[in-house]
Amino acid sequence: MTGTKRYDLFRPVPIAPLVVFRISFGLLMFFSLLRFWWRGWVTAVYVQPKFHFSYFGWEWVQAPGNTAIHVLFGCITLAALFIAFGFLYRIAIVVFFLGFTYIELIDVTTYLNHYYFISLVAFILIWLPANRDWSMDVSIRPQLRCAEVPAWTIGILRFQMAIVYIFAGLAKLNADWLLQAEPMRTWLPAKSHLPIVGPLMYKAWVAYVFSWFGAIYDLFIVFFLLNDRTRKIAYLFVLAFHIATAIFFPGIGMFPYVMIVSSLIFFPSAFHEKLLSRLGWKPAPSLGYNTYNYTRPKRWVVALLVYAAFQVLFPLRFLMYPDKLFWNEEGYRFSWRVMLMEKAGTAYFTVKDGTTGAAFVVDNKAFLTPLQEKMMSTQPDMILQYAHHLAAVYKQKGIQQPRVFGEVYVALNGRRSALFIDPAVDLAAQQRQWTHYNWILPCPKTKE
Amino acid sequence: MAKLFFPSTLFRAVIPVTAALLLLNACGKSDDGTDNNGNSTDEFKKEMLVNYADNIIQPGYVQLKTSLADLKTKVAVLLSAPSASTQANVKPSFQAAYQAFEAVSLPYFGPAAAQMLNNTLNTFPPGISKIESGIASGNYDLTLPITSDSLQGFPALDYLIFGEGAVDKLADPVSGQNRKQYINDVLERMQLLTDNTINQWAAGYRNTFINSLKTDVGSSIGFLINQLAFEMDALKGPRIGWPFGKQSNGIVFADKAEGYYSAISKELAVANLNAVKQYYTGGSAKGIDDYLDLLGKTTLNDDVLAQFTVAINALQAIPAPLSAAFTGSPATVEAAYKEIQKLLTLLKTDVASATGVQINYMDNDGD
Repeated sequence: MTGTKRYDLFRPVPIAPLVVFRISFGLLMFFSLLRFWWRGWVTAVYVQPKFHFSYFGWEWVQAPGNTAIHVLFGCITLAALFIAFGFLYRIAIVVFFLGFTYIELIDVTTYLNHYYFISLVAFILIWLPANRDWSMDVSIRPQLRCAEVPAWTIGILRFQMAIVYIFAGLAKLNADWLLQAEPMRTWLPAKSHLPIVGPLMYKAWVAYVFSWFGAIYDLFIVFFLLNDRTRKIAYLFVLAFHIATAIFFPGIGMFPYVMIVSSLIFFPSAFHEKLLSRLGWKPAPSLGYNTYNYTRPKRWVVALLVYAAFQVLFPLRFLMYPDKLFWNEEGYRFSWRVMLMEKAGTAYFTVKDGTTGAAFVVDNKAFLTPLQEKMMSTQPDMILQYAHHLAAVYKQKGIQQPRVFGEVYVALNGRRSALFIDPAVDLAAQQRQWTHYNWILPCPKTKE
Repeated sequence: MAKLFFPSTLFRAVIPVTAALLLLNACGKSDDGTDNNGNSTDEFKKEMLVNYADNIIQPGYVQLKTSLADLKTKVAVLLSAPSASTQANVKPSFQAAYQAFEAVSLPYFGPAAAQMLNNTLNTFPPGISKIESGIASGNYDLTLPITSDSLQGFPALDYLIFGEGAVDKLADPVSGQNRKQYINDVLERMQLLTDNTINQWAAGYRNTFINSLKTDVGSSIGFLINQLAFEMDALKGPRIGWPFGKQSNGIVFADKAEGYYSAISKELAVANLNAVKQYYTGGSAKGIDDYLDLLGKTTLNDDVLAQFTVAINALQAIPAPLSAAFTGSPATVEAAYKEIQKLLTLLKTDVASATGVQINYMDNDGD
């Protein structure tokens, strides 16, 4: 896992990779959060909506209001800077993890795989001694300084990267991606404005090249990054791949940069020491130059095994659901499925009074932001939540027994739109659940 | 080789490249979302956008300007001698101007959005009590964004010129003066905003528009496709569905319809849908329909074109005036409503998806 010859999680290794990871993660988060704020998204996403889509089981996470959400954002932005500088590190990383995760849990609408990745990495960093060198904490208390850390502290980060890449690769092994080159074939013509490559964007073979290269890259890049002989070349591929993604799909946001920076963790200690030496700043000589030790190593081994098992198994939970994953999206999130689908929908809802039979067509715009409506229109769990919300709202308006019916049309990966859910099912009477929603209609087979 | 990959060399390259891209990505969009890419190369898309700009949108605004001028002349006659005949004399011009607006309702982006043209010219139903109190006191401000939207534009004229007892009210020697002034103020503001829109298109927006070849939010194609869905949504809801009682368990609110007082709601709806079709086809030259063909989505395009015909025919089949048909011939309205919804679904789902158009700026990792 760590490229060692001897399998030993607690073998001491130089701390440098961990320090570089901490600094780059902190800085990247700092600028990402500033960007998010600067673009007005804090208000647009967490203040303006009248209703938020919760995660099942996390309904208690609520938007805290205009002032509080901005204070919270300010706190984690500052915490990100503290993490980079290694100042009050343990407090900063806990604040960052809790704050960031809380914000992400407010609304399903904004779910992104790399936000999940950031939450996981922040969680991992809580337990790692990443501030034990090249940090203000060490400047203030030199006795904390450590030259070496157990190998697993770096290995766990590499493992997390491997999970992201390999599952992203496995997710691409489907007929739409490999045989139809969808959604690339739909998305690339939208990039025909690009200089030089623009005219190629209409060619089907280019979509196939993108698709297959992407799948092969995701599946195997980790192994080339782990190998001493191929690492540098592999990293050039990392750069090329993610910069290309950033150019072709700017809407993907920070993901390419997160991966470019995080992939440095695969480089050996010497590389990271070299990098750090260029910072031109070194804390005062320490009193002792130690190896960081974890007490009760067996407990850490168990914790690592549990975490690793979760990371491997959780993305596979989709196997327990019937029918097509992309259509039903049951077990879709938190599984490193990135840029896999072109999915669009239109949803019409009617609320009927169970006692009088009176019918009211719903104007979605009155309840949801355009982004929320778009996301809701293609995702069954969001459709159900929205229907429950509508039932509550219309009950307040005086409808005795509100029944909610959805006429939803969805188009997926170049297929024509089709009815998505059973329009005769009263969604208000359906429960949120972990098991399959049998009111979802089957995915259409035909393709234009 | 070894030297090339010496960590410092590699890192020296990584930092600026990554930083530059980061900055580029973070700052790439201006605040109003317009994207002007000087390196744009796609000839098809460019020709299509030139067609929209030069043959549909800009002439549409000019037509609106011309018909507003004509309307003003006819209204002046009415105001100088209010009578049933001078009122009747206004109606064809009013309808022509209103229909000219329907032809430019869709391109509500760029200059029109900057002028808030649609909000000002066509927020219906009109806020009658506010209009009346403004006239009574002579104290009103038509420039206030949002709050003054329902006090002016075509809906206000519709009410003031064709509402119940309109001629008598205009003829009133006391209150008539304020009323005439109000009508003139409304007309002048409509003309001013239309002129501003025309000028801004000519002054620079045309160039921005035809060179924006992306399909993201703020791009010209993005605007067009999103507005196709928006107009269809407005036709389904505010123009037909809401007055028909779709939101209110069949309780009809005929006076909420567009052009209720002049009883031209149906004609306006037909004009609106015909205009949406024109924005889809680009007229006889390159349009979204040809773009779909280019993308190999010919069946989809055929289906959309067929559904336009079905929906327009269904609208035409409603007996005029629409306000009476809501209660007198609900089956025809219901049929039109259904066909409009089908068309909306095709445009908002299939066409938007096939063209890869996005609806907003938020980061998105692929649904």
